[in-house]
Amino acid sequence: MKTLIKLTNLKKVFSTDEVETHALSDINLEVKQGEYLSISGPSGCGKSTLLSLLGLLDTSSGGSYNLNGHDVVDINGKQRAAIRNKEIGFVFQSFNLISELTVAENVALPLTYRKDLSKSQRKELVTAALEKVDMNHRTKHYPSQLSGGQQQRVAVARAIAGNPSIILADEPTGNLDSKNAELVMGLLDKLHAEGATICMVTHDPRGAKRAERVIDIFDGRIVSDSPTMPNQIEEAVA
Amino acid sequence: MTTGLTLCIYMFSFIHGTMVAPLPFENGDRIRAVDTINNGMEYQGTSFRVHDFEDLKKRVQSYEVFDAYDVATVNLSTSDRAVRYTGHYVKENFFEISDAKPLLGRLITNEDGLSGAEPVALISHTVWQNMFAGDKNILGKKLRINSKPTTVVGVMPDSYQFPSAGRIWMPFTTTGKGVDRKDGHYVAVYGVLKAGVTDKQADAELQVLMAELAENYPKLNSTISAHVWTLQAAAMGSGTPIIILAMELAVGFILLLACINVSNLLFSRATEKGKETAIRTALGAPRIRLVMQMMWESMLICVISGVLAVLFAGLWLEVANKDVLESFPFDPPFWWHLQITQTSLIAAVMITLVTAFITGILPALKATSGDFNATLRDGTRGAQSKASGRLSKVIVISEVVLSCALLLLSTGMVYSVNQQNNIDYGTTVEDIFTARVGLPEAGYESDEKRQQYYQNLAENLIAEPEISGVSFTRALPGNGARYENIALDNVDYGKQPQYPKTSSVGVDHNYFSVMEMNLREGRLFDSRDKNDSPLTAVVTDNFVNKFFKDGDVLGKRFKFVETDKDWYTVIGVVNDVIHGQPMSFNIEKPTAFISIQQIPKRYISVVIKTEADDAASVTGLSERVVDIALKVERDAPLYEVQTLRNLITGRNAGMNFISELFLVFAAASMVLAFSGIYGVMSNTIVQKTQEIGIRRALGADNSDIYKHFIKQGIKQLVIGLAFGLPMGVALVTMLEESSIAQGSLMLYFIIPTFISAVMLLAIYYPVQRALKMQPCSALRYE
Repeated sequence: MKTLIKLTNLKKVFSTDEVETHALSDINLEVKQGEYLSISGPSGCGKSTLLSLLGLLDTSSGGSYNLNGHDVVDINGKQRAAIRNKEIGFVFQSFNLISELTVAENVALPLTYRKDLSKSQRKELVTAALEKVDMNHRTKHYPSQLSGGQQQRVAVARAIAGNPSIILADEPTGNLDSKNAELVMGLLDKLHAEGATICMVTHDPRGAKRAERVIDIFDGRIVSDSPTMPNQIEEAVA
Repeated sequence: MTTGLTLCIYMFSFIHGTMVAPLPFENGDRIRAVDTINNGMEYQGTSFRVHDFEDLKKRVQSYEVFDAYDVATVNLSTSDRAVRYTGHYVKENFFEISDAKPLLGRLITNEDGLSGAEPVALISHTVWQNMFAGDKNILGKKLRINSKPTTVVGVMPDSYQFPSAGRIWMPFTTTGKGVDRKDGHYVAVYGVLKAGVTDKQADAELQVLMAELAENYPKLNSTISAHVWTLQAAAMGSGTPIIILAMELAVGFILLLACINVSNLLFSRATEKGKETAIRTALGAPRIRLVMQMMWESMLICVISGVLAVLFAGLWLEVANKDVLESFPFDPPFWWHLQITQTSLIAAVMITLVTAFITGILPALKATSGDFNATLRDGTRGAQSKASGRLSKVIVISEVVLSCALLLLSTGMVYSVNQQNNIDYGTTVEDIFTARVGLPEAGYESDEKRQQYYQNLAENLIAEPEISGVSFTRALPGNGARYENIALDNVDYGKQPQYPKTSSVGVDHNYFSVMEMNLREGRLFDSRDKNDSPLTAVVTDNFVNKFFKDGDVLGKRFKFVETDKDWYTVIGVVNDVIHGQPMSFNIEKPTAFISIQQIPKRYISVVIKTEADDAASVTGLSERVVDIALKVERDAPLYEVQTLRNLITGRNAGMNFISELFLVFAAASMVLAFSGIYGVMSNTIVQKTQEIGIRRALGADNSDIYKHFIKQGIKQLVIGLAFGLPMGVALVTMLEESSIAQGSLMLYFIIPTFISAVMLLAIYYPVQRALKMQPCSALRYE
């Protein structure tokens, strides 16, 4: 399978006037196309920082990052934005829907930043994405009119609307009850089964075991990188 | 908030101190001036023909006291000098109603005015000090007043000024008895309303009586009515209410802007605390308690602002106004106490409390209303909810509406005064010296003697090397001229005539050349226009355009309805001249110049053309001019000796004062508009930092973010301008009718452009700040 992400000795250091905090050190990681990867670890270990670097939401302090064959460490803000828009779909713990926009407008948002899509194409993609998450009956609702699970399903639809190369999910079930969490995880499973590459940060062991591969981080370093056994996946799904 | 409250308290103190507070006399709240309105023009002071006054006095029922006084130039001569003062000719009750007590001697009594009584005068403290060095033995001394020996019977205290700053008081002897009605002297009428009688009732009674006079004397009174008003309102003038209204509107807008700004701050805090409030509500906190908690913040802000505002307003009233009032060419009315009074303080407390309530209540109610469960569930984590986003938009739009209207109003006023200060009066106003002179009755009874005096004065003045021209006029440019009813030849005005009016200005023959005016057609006055030759007039373009639309005016005749019985023949046409303040109604007035050689008057202005331009030369020349005039006539001192430019500037001092106030309003509104729009937009954008992070995470680059917020801002700007621009234009147009403000396309373009620029800056910098964050930091922003 094609390598989608390759990190080599990636570092992230947060500096204040007096203190340097090494959030990530010498991260080496490869993610293949179609993989379902979960990143686990205790709070503050650096997993969300890693996801931010993967999603080009932050810049690294050293090392290299190759995304879909392109070195993305030294590119400018505009190029980073373009890559985020086309290659990456985000699902956040707190959904991060824009409250002033309707469901359809929220899902269409990443598509509005593309110059290569016509209005009708955007509409088709939005409809398709909402159908996938079974939310096409709520297109005109505002986020505050939806339950948490519904909001997260809309967020998933937004993440997949532009057919990105990879979906980055940061604690996607963190704000949900178990029933809704299950619904969302099922949705990610379904997307993965359809070929999507998913990289998910979670500290829920059950959630982590649903991925094909689990990476554990501790104190900013990858301490284990192992595939999940099929029976573990089944247990987690059950 | 401090700016808004300062202006508000200042304006309240100003209006209360000048117009509302009762006069400091026992019946001060019931003292009224009664003035006339002739052909729609309001006249103040000596505006009643004495015959009319006497008729009214017999019949009015609304007053405890209804009387008249006269104001006239008084030439006071001692052995070594002569000084001109304003004299008041009064009756006994004049002093009674103004609670007057002499410093020395006694007051004027009614007996002093009886025929054959010895001429007596009461002098002011100023005259006593300046002319007699505070001589304790002044009582009983004889002075030469208007060439007549007059005995001093009393000295008034320094503080006494009623109804305006008087210097000398003498008995009122003016009467209509034995005088033809049309030749009747004009007097000022005042009264004390009976207890319980309202202005409306007194005014209604006056209208009935004036209508009867008009019916009885249609030729003289058909265009004259009268009205009753307080001395305070009369001192401010009839145009003042509209100015006060404009000021109140401006201050109201400024305070409202300040309230919106503070409200917005409180609202932002309330939004930030939205989750906390929702949690408190969920835990069972009563709404009233949450509202009160938030109200305390607005109370604290407003009380601190209120205290500062009282200090600033007091300082402004004490220091700034003192300088401004001293620059006025007249003594301000004695009741003008521009300071923070007890009433101002009470008002300040009330305004502050109301402001605190208005400022705090909306954010408090908004923050504690709505679905707290939704707030707790809202996944936007501290970003604006849909409802609060809508409110922010309303706030921004309100800021734009108010800023636009206020800036247009303020700048329209400033622009108008600036235009007035730079207007072409139709004559030269540079290198011209002017002075007033009033010839005493004694010795100058005949036209020939007056004419001789003018000739002698002109010859003596022109002998000075620095003087290149001397002339005389009854009304200088920029200063009021008589506005009289005229009758055109061959026009029948009917039984209830409504005569046209024109300014009438007596001038010497060389006036037009000295004042550099242009002859349009015909000829100017010359040796043919003598005392015994047929009366002639030179008229202005406005006169021709108004009364002879076909332009055929030369040789046509008109006469002044009230004062002259002979016809004047038009011999020439000159350019328009503005008499009075340069406001549209004065600019449009027609003028008829008549020859003072045909009708020489006792009171006249001297016009001196000079090359003296530096301050020392001007001072030296003015002293020499006064000396020369005293050598020509020792009982006729020149007064108000100054350059024409200074005279005009002084006349416009009131408008300039108002303009300066509006300049402060404009500056305050600019600061508030800038800080307000910037504050609201900045807060809105800061609250949307997380949204910016989301948009960036989804692929928006910097230009997409700028475009998004600019697009939103433009929508609010366009809606705001759509309301604010017409509102501002309407306000300016309303004031344009009174020549108080003037709009211009330039202003209508500049103000919206300024607001748009503020809006863009208010979007650009906060967005730029948010974009400096990494998207991941923006996403986590709380």
